[in-house]
Amino acid sequence: MINFEEELKKFHPSPEIQDVEENIYNQDVTDLADVLVKMVKDAKEE
Amino acid sequence: MNCYKCGCRLSEKDFCTSCGADVGMYKKIMYSANRFYNDGLEKAKVRDLSGSATSLRQCLKLNKNHIEARNLLGLVYFERGDVVPALSEWVISKNIRHDKNIANDYIDMIQHNPSRLETYTQTIKKYNLAVGYCHQDSLDLAVIQLRKVLSLSPNFVQARQLLALVYINNQEWEKAKKELDKAIRIDANNTTTLKYLKEVENMMPADEEKAHKKKDAITYQSGNDTVIQPVIKKNTSSPHTIMNIVIGIVIGIGITWFLISPARIQKAQKDINEKYKSVSEQLDAKTAQIDELTAQISSLTTEKNELSVSLDEAKDDSKIIEANGNLIEATLMYINDTDDEIAIADKLELIGDDYLDNYASDDFVTLYNTLKDEISRAVSRTSYNLGYEAYRSKDYETAIKNLSRAVEYDATNGEALYNLGNSYYKSEKLDEALEIYEQVVELFPNTEKARKSQSYIKEIRGE
Repeated sequence: MINFEEELKKFHPSPEIQDVEENIYNQDVTDLADVLVKMVKDAKEE
Repeated sequence: MNCYKCGCRLSEKDFCTSCGADVGMYKKIMYSANRFYNDGLEKAKVRDLSGSATSLRQCLKLNKNHIEARNLLGLVYFERGDVVPALSEWVISKNIRHDKNIANDYIDMIQHNPSRLETYTQTIKKYNLAVGYCHQDSLDLAVIQLRKVLSLSPNFVQARQLLALVYINNQEWEKAKKELDKAIRIDANNTTTLKYLKEVENMMPADEEKAHKKKDAITYQSGNDTVIQPVIKKNTSSPHTIMNIVIGIVIGIGITWFLISPARIQKAQKDINEKYKSVSEQLDAKTAQIDELTAQISSLTTEKNELSVSLDEAKDDSKIIEANGNLIEATLMYINDTDDEIAIADKLELIGDDYLDNYASDDFVTLYNTLKDEISRAVSRTSYNLGYEAYRSKDYETAIKNLSRAVEYDATNGEALYNLGNSYYKSEKLDEALEIYEQVVELFPNTEKARKSQSYIKEIRGE
C-alpha cells in the first residue's frame, strides 16, 4: 500500500529555466579519471 | 583516446608512447565509461529512459568528457519533460567541446524560440505550484494545475506520476491507471511509475474484469493450439425482441412527448407571442395614425365649411355691391337726363330677378320699380322702333329681342306684341308664334291685329 505522504516527499519543485546556471555550478563534474590522475600525482609526490 | 597527462593519442600499449605515463587503469576507466554509454543508448532506444539516464550518469562519473553520453543524457531528460537538467547537460557539453557539437542545436532550439521557452517556463511554474498545493493538502487545486501542466507538456513524467499519486490517494483508480499508462509509454521502466501501476492494478476490481472477459470468450485446447472463441449470444426469443422494440418505441415516444414536444410547443408559442406583439404594435401605430388622419379630416372639413360660408357671404356681398352699383348708375343716368333709356334699362336688367326676390331690401325694390316705371314707356317705344326696323330688314333675332323688351316694359303695346309674333313666325319658331298670336287675340280683340293673328293661328294649326 502506497503511503501518500511518504511518496509526496519524493516530489520536489523543479528548477526553473533561470536556475540553469546554478544547476551547472552545483554539479560535481569530477570523474573517476580525475580521481585516478590525482592519485597518481599524489603517489609520485610521496 | 588521449593521454590524460600529455594529451597525445594512446596506442594499444598500457603506457603513453609519448610521455611514458601509465595509462592502463585510465584506459579501463574509459572503456567502462563507454560500456555504460552503450548500455544507456540501448535502453534509450527501447524508451527505458530511467535506466538509460542511470547508465549515462554512470558513464559521466567515469568520464566527464564523454560528449555523446552527456548529450544523450540531456536528450533523455528532455524527453521526460525535465528541461532544466537537459539544458544543464547540453551547456556543459558545449563548454567541453564548442564545435561540431549537436548540443548547440539543442540549446538553440530552446533559446531561440521565445514561445517554446515561455511554455517551458509556465510548465515548470505550474508544476511547482501543484507540488505546493499537494503539500498544503489542496489536492483539487493540484489536480487542476497538473492537468494544465500536462496539456502544455504531455511528456512530463514526473507531473503524470504526481497526478496519478493524487488520484490514487482519492481512490480514483481508473484515472490513475490512465495517467500511469501514459507515463509508462514515455518512460517504460520507471520504477516509480511501475510501483504506482502495480498498486493501482491491485486495487482495481480485477475479478469483475476477468469474469467479464470470461463471459466474452471461450478458451479451449485443440491439439497443441489454444483456441479463443468469442461467445455469440443468440437471442432466440422473438416475442421478447418484439416486446423490447415496442418498449423502445414507447420510451422514444415518451421522450418526444415529454421532452421535445413541450420545448417545441413552447418555442412555437413564443414565436406566436412575438408575432402577436409585433402585429399589435403595428395595429396600435396604424390606429393612432388613422385617429390622427381622422382628426385632420374633421378639422379640414370644418375649415372647408367655414370657408364655403365665407365664400357664400363674399359672393352675396359681391352681388349686393354689384346690384347697388348698377342701380346707382341707372339712377344717376336718369337724374342727369341722358335720354338714353335703353342704357338705363340695360343697367336695371343687370340686377336680375333673383337678386330682387332674395337679397334686395325693400327700399332697393321700391327705387328699382320707380325707376323702371319712369322709363318703361320710353324704353318700350324705343325698343319697338328698333325691333320693327330689324323685322323689316329681316333680322328676326334682333327683332325678337327688342320687341320682347318693348312688350315687357309696356304690356299695352299691341303693335310690339303682334310684330313679335310675326318675328317668331318668320323665324319659324311656330310654338312661340302661336302663343304670342293667342295673346294678341286675347288682349286686343276686335282689332285688325287680332284678325290677322287669328288667321296665322289657323294657318299654324293647319285648320
